[in-house]
Amino acid sequence: MDIFHDNPMLTGVRQMLGAFAKQSIRPIAVKHDRDESMPWDLMKMAQGFGMTQTAVVDGRKALTGKDEDGESGNAKKPASQARIGVAGSEELAYGCAGICLAIGGSGLAASPVSRMGNEEQKQEFRKLLKGDDEKGHIKVAAMALSEPSTGSDISGLSTTARPDGDHFVINGHKQWITNGASAAVYVVWANTDPTAGRAGVRGFIVGRGTPGLVPGRKETKLGIRASETAQVHFEDCRVHKDMMLGVGQSSEGLSDTKKMLDSTRPMVGAQAVGIARAAFEYLVERVQGGTMQGTPMANHQRVAFELAEMEMEIQAARALVHKAAWMADHHMDNVRMASIAKAYGAKVAQDVTSRALTLLGEEALESGHPVEKWYRDAKIYDIFEGTGQIQRRIIARSIFGVNPT
Amino acid sequence: MDFALDDEQTLIAQTVRRFVDKDVRAWAADADRAGAAPPRLSAVGGDLGFFLDAVPEASGGLLDGPYSHLRRALRGLELGRGCAGMAAVLETNVEPALAVGRWGSAAAREALFASLAGGGLATTARDARGTLDVTRDGDGLRITGKIGPVPALATASHVLLAARTGDEPVLALVATAGARREAVATSGWRAAAWGSLVLEATAVPASMVLARGAAAADAITEVLTWYKVSLAARATGVATAGMEHARKYADERIQFGKPIGTFESLIRLRDDADTGAAAVRLMALHAAWLADRVVDGPTRAAAHDAASRARVLAGDVVDRATVDAVQILGGYGFVNDYPVEKLMRDARAFAQLLGDERFDRILAVRAQQGA
Ligand SMILES: Cc1cc2nc3c(=O)[nH]c(=O)nc-3n(C[C@H](O)[C@H](O)[C@H](O)COP(=O)(O)OP(=O)(O)OC[C@H]3O[C@@H](n4cnc5c(N)ncnc54)[C@H](O)[C@@H]3O)c2cc1C
Repeated sequence: MDIFHDNPMLTGVRQMLGAFAKQSIRPIAVKHDRDESMPWDLMKMAQGFGMTQTAVVDGRKALTGKDEDGESGNAKKPASQARIGVAGSEELAYGCAGICLAIGGSGLAASPVSRMGNEEQKQEFRKLLKGDDEKGHIKVAAMALSEPSTGSDISGLSTTARPDGDHFVINGHKQWITNGASAAVYVVWANTDPTAGRAGVRGFIVGRGTPGLVPGRKETKLGIRASETAQVHFEDCRVHKDMMLGVGQSSEGLSDTKKMLDSTRPMVGAQAVGIARAAFEYLVERVQGGTMQGTPMANHQRVAFELAEMEMEIQAARALVHKAAWMADHHMDNVRMASIAKAYGAKVAQDVTSRALTLLGEEALESGHPVEKWYRDAKIYDIFEGTGQIQRRIIARSIFGVNPT
Repeated sequence: MDFALDDEQTLIAQTVRRFVDKDVRAWAADADRAGAAPPRLSAVGGDLGFFLDAVPEASGGLLDGPYSHLRRALRGLELGRGCAGMAAVLETNVEPALAVGRWGSAAAREALFASLAGGGLATTARDARGTLDVTRDGDGLRITGKIGPVPALATASHVLLAARTGDEPVLALVATAGARREAVATSGWRAAAWGSLVLEATAVPASMVLARGAAAADAITEVLTWYKVSLAARATGVATAGMEHARKYADERIQFGKPIGTFESLIRLRDDADTGAAAVRLMALHAAWLADRVVDGPTRAAAHDAASRARVLAGDVVDRATVDAVQILGGYGFVNDYPVEKLMRDARAFAQLLGDERFDRILAVRAQQGA
C-alpha cells in the first residue's frame, strides 16, 4: 500500500511542496548555506502560501482548507494534521533542511501556544507575529527551552520566573535557540517555583523589545545554516502573569514540554528522510549517466547495491514517520513510535549522505556540493529535539519501564 | 617482533606532537575559518624538516639515504591530531619528490627540486574515474580535462599525475604554470590550498613523463602506497583528536546528575572509536614498514594491499569517530566554537581523495579473475 494513497490531501501537499522545494528552495540553498543567512524573501513567499507552521495557531485552514485543531469539537475524530506535517516536512527538507527550518521553525513556539494557550494568549501570539518587521521581514517565533548547561535533562533548567505582583521576573540564559536573534516573539520556559522542581516549570509568551529580553550571539554551525541559532538572555525581564501558558488548565509543568516535543518528533524524522531522499536521487541520476572502466555504473554491484541499501533505509524510515504521525492523527499514544521515527530518520539521513559522499569521491569535497551540504545538515537530526541517545532512552523506557544509564 | 619505537622514532613522534600541541592546534580554528594555513606554517614546518625531507640532499633537500615511510607514518599520526588541512600541506611534497627522485629524468628533477628548494609546493592527483583525455604526442603527452580538486593545487608548481592513455597507465609531472587554475573552497582540510587545474590540450614533454605501461603501473602502485599510508596515519590522528576532545567534554558535562561520560552508550561510542583508531594505527605502521621494504613485484603488491586496507578502515574509523565526537558534545558539537565539527568535516577527505578505495579493491580482484 502506498502510504499516501488513502488521503488525497497528503498527495496534494506532497506535490505542491515538492514543486516548491525544487523550484524555489533548491536554487537558493547553497547561497544561504554559504552566507549563513535566513532566506527572508522565500519565507515571505511561503507565508503567503500558508506554509509557516504558525498555522498551528492560525488554524490549519490556510494550508489544508480545514480547521483540524483537535479542540474544535470532536477530539476523537481522526485528523490528518500530523500526516500532512510529515509529508510536507519531507518535501521542504528535500529542498534544504536549513530553509525548511527557517520556514517552519516558528512552529516549535506555536505548538505549546496552540496546546496550552488560552484564547487571549493565542491572540497575543498572533498579534506579535502580524505584519513585517522594520527590515520588511516576516516575523518569526522562537521556543527557548535549552540552556548552556541543560539540553537533554530539561529538569535541570536554571532560568527562573519569580512572581512579583501581576508579573513574573525572568532571569536566565537560553542556548541554541532557533530564530533566537530575530524572533518577534519568544516562548520561554522558566521555573516559577524551584521548590516544586519539574512541576514549577512554565512557558511564557514574551514579545521582542520587552525590557530585559536580550537576543544574543548567533552561532556558526556545521549545517542547517539557513536556519538561525542564537543565545537569548533574560535579565530581570518582567512578563505579565497573563502570558504564562497553562493558566486555568491543569498544566503539568515540564511534562508539557515533553508532549510538545513528542508531537513534533515525527516531523523532524520526516525532515531527515527528506535529506536522505535528496542524496539518493542525486546519486541515482549520477549513476545512470556514468561508466566505470567501460561498464555502466549501474551494472556494478558496488554502486547499485549501495543505492538499493539506501532505498531500503529511506522507505523504512518514511514508513516509520508516517506510522508515528498516523497514530497522532488517531489520538493514540505515539511516544515510543515518535522516538523510533525520529531516531531512525536521523540515522538514515547520516548513513545515506555519508555513503553517497564516499561514492562521489573528490568532487563532493567542494564546499557547496549538494551532497556535502546534505551530509552536514543531516547531523543535527541526531542532536536537536532530543538526541539519538535520548530517543533510545525513551524507547527503552517504554519497553522496560526504567531509565537505563 | 618488536612493537616498541626506537629512540629516533620516539624523538620524531615527540617533536611533532609538541609542534602540534603548541602551534598547529592553536592555529587550526583560524586556519579553518580563513580557508588558508597561517604564513608561519612554512617557516616552522620547514625548520622541522617538512617540505624537503623527500628531496635529495644533492638537490637542496634533506634526504640522505632511503626514505622512511615508517617515520612519516609516525609523524602523520601526530599531525592528524592537530589539523588535517595543515597536515596535508606539510606532507604534500613527499610523493612528487620521491617519485621524481626515483623515476624522473634529469630535467624533471631539475625542475621540481629547484621549485621545492625555493619554497614551492607540489601535489599528487589520480584520475580515478578516467575522465581526463590523455593522448600520446610523440614521446610526450597531451592532456585535456580537469585535475582536482586536490590539496595544495591552488599554489603548487607541479602535479604528480597518475592517469591513463587509452589502456596504458602513465605517471607524469605536470607543471602548473600557464594552465588555468581554480582555487577551490572545500568543506574539510580548508587550510590545504585546494585547487583544480584545467588543461586544454596541454603538452607534457617526454622528459616529464616518469613512466609508462607496466613500469608506470608499478610506479603508480608505489606512489599510491606512500600516499595511502600517510592518509591512514593522519586519519588515525584526526579520529584520536575527536575522542580526546569528546573524553574531556564527557568528563565535565553533567546531565541527569552525572557526567555524561558515565553513560554506557557514550562509553561505547568512545570505546569503539578507540578500538578503530588502535587497529588503523597498527595497520598504517605495518603498511609503512612494508613500503620501506619494497624490492620487487610481490613486496610492492603486499605493501600496496596493506596500505589500501589501512585506508579503507581509516576512512570508516575517522568518519565514525568524528561524527560520534560531535554527538558526544551535543549542541556544542554542532557549533563552530568547539573543535569537533571541524574534525567531522575534515574526516571526509580521507575516504574521498583518490577515489573510492573499496571500489578499487573490488575492481582489482575482478581484473585478477579476468572478469
Ligand atoms: C541547531 C540547533 C537548534 C536548536 N534549536 C533549539 C530551539 O529552538 N529551542 C531549544 O530549546 N533548544 C534548541 N536546541 C538545543 C537542543 O535541543 C539541544 O542541543 C539538545 O537537546 C541536546 O542537548 P545538549 O546540547 O545540552 O547536549 P547534552 O544533553 O549535554 O548531551 C551531550 C551528550 O550526552 C548524551 N546524553 C545526555 N544524557 C544522556 C543519557 N541519559 N544517556 C545517554 N546519553 C546521554 C547526549 O545524547 C549527547 O550525546 C537546538 C540545538 C541546535 C544545535
